[in-house]
Amino acid sequence: MSARARIRAIPTWQVTLGVALLGLGFLIAAQLAAEGPRIRYTSQERAPLVEIATELQAEREELTASILDLRRQIQSIEGSVADSAGVVKDLNDRLLAARIAAGLIPLTGTGIVLQLADSLEPAAPDTSEGDYLVSARDIRAVVEELWGAGAEAIAINGERITPTTAIIDLGASVLVNSSYVSAPYQIAALGPPDLYPRLAASAGFVDFIRARAQPYGIQVSFAEPETVDIPAFAGTVTLRYARPEPSPQASPGG
Amino acid sequence: MHVRRNQITIAAVAFVLGLLVIVQLRTQASEAAYAGLSSQDLTILVANLNDRNDQLRREVATLDRDLTRLTQNTERGDASINELRTDLQRVRLYAGLDAASGPGVILTIRGPIDGSGVEDLVNELRNAGAEAISIEDVRVVPGTVATGLPGLARVDGTPLGEMFEVLAIGPPDKLTGSLTRSGGIIAQLGATLPDVVVDVTPVERLDLPATDRNLVPTNGRPLL
Repeated sequence: MSARARIRAIPTWQVTLGVALLGLGFLIAAQLAAEGPRIRYTSQERAPLVEIATELQAEREELTASILDLRRQIQSIEGSVADSAGVVKDLNDRLLAARIAAGLIPLTGTGIVLQLADSLEPAAPDTSEGDYLVSARDIRAVVEELWGAGAEAIAINGERITPTTAIIDLGASVLVNSSYVSAPYQIAALGPPDLYPRLAASAGFVDFIRARAQPYGIQVSFAEPETVDIPAFAGTVTLRYARPEPSPQASPGG
Repeated sequence: MHVRRNQITIAAVAFVLGLLVIVQLRTQASEAAYAGLSSQDLTILVANLNDRNDQLRREVATLDRDLTRLTQNTERGDASINELRTDLQRVRLYAGLDAASGPGVILTIRGPIDGSGVEDLVNELRNAGAEAISIEDVRVVPGTVATGLPGLARVDGTPLGEMFEVLAIGPPDKLTGSLTRSGGIIAQLGATLPDVVVDVTPVERLDLPATDRNLVPTNGRPLL
């Protein structure tokens, strides 16, 4: 085989192989260099637990999807019930208002999305690694400031805040409505068009930035999209201990 | 012969490449999703998911029953007024639009607590299964916030003073246990606010007021 012929022969398979090997090398490098969370646990006993958690999470998603679907069907039947006296119309109007108040209806409107992300700074000698992570308390502080600034509905990574929502730490992540949520946390808030200026002017929010963003590098950013969508709560609203009070002085509002 | 060997080499590389891609994706999908959790954290997550899924299954059953009844009523030409009333009552109770009563706990708080301390207590009550909460006479709903420096705590503008009560409807034993356990929220508060004393009393019946807030947003509309 002449040198010329050799050169011409290269493109057919060696190039393919070369490209494939390049891809392989890239993937191996990506796998090795994959930047994990600040704290990463690995142990034998984790594997079965991760598997159970993954299964339960999948089951939870199926259940919440059923709940949303059933609620849609119920709402549609209730809305189509006809009557002559207007009693049903009145009940349906009140039901819609109550469902909106309970967080069962997805909403859209003006508002902002605030993002909280873990710090990228290395931990200083006399501080704890945990101080550089967004905690449940950080999220609650921002949520409280948003309510104070006039927010009317809030969701964290798609989990709607309802009257029974707890936000608690779980390792380097948090649970919202018992749902596992990890950083970065996107807090979507529906509110007046000047929600952000109001928030930025509040003493509590300024304190939060001063206490968490400045010393530890917790990353706080925000977006003001034209509309903010807040999803519906997909959990239970059937209370087991609380009963309506028999007294007739219940608020007629809402 | 020459060509065949080349093809085998390429096939082998492609196979390894595919395998690596799958391994990478799988790792990211499961293991890495919970990478920040220790075995102990994972146990808590599993327990939480178990409880929550039980609740969700009950809700699905309730909704299924409601839907069947509504469908049957519609077929009979019945206006389903009773079902609508029951549904309305259930949702209003959950939302805090109606007064509520039931068993639970009374938290008596004495000393100069701050707003975020009160918020921490409320959050822990919810985490332990509280279904309805009020601070003094203010029903806690989304938007209700306790604020203020130590000794100047207020909720929705109402000053709380040196001594006040938080009422929570829910399982009394679970609420009490969760708040008072060692390392629990009351112990944590004691570390940061040593002059604050929180007493927890389980009670058989509490009466909570309805919220006086308007909970229907004025800046948003239903996304239907």
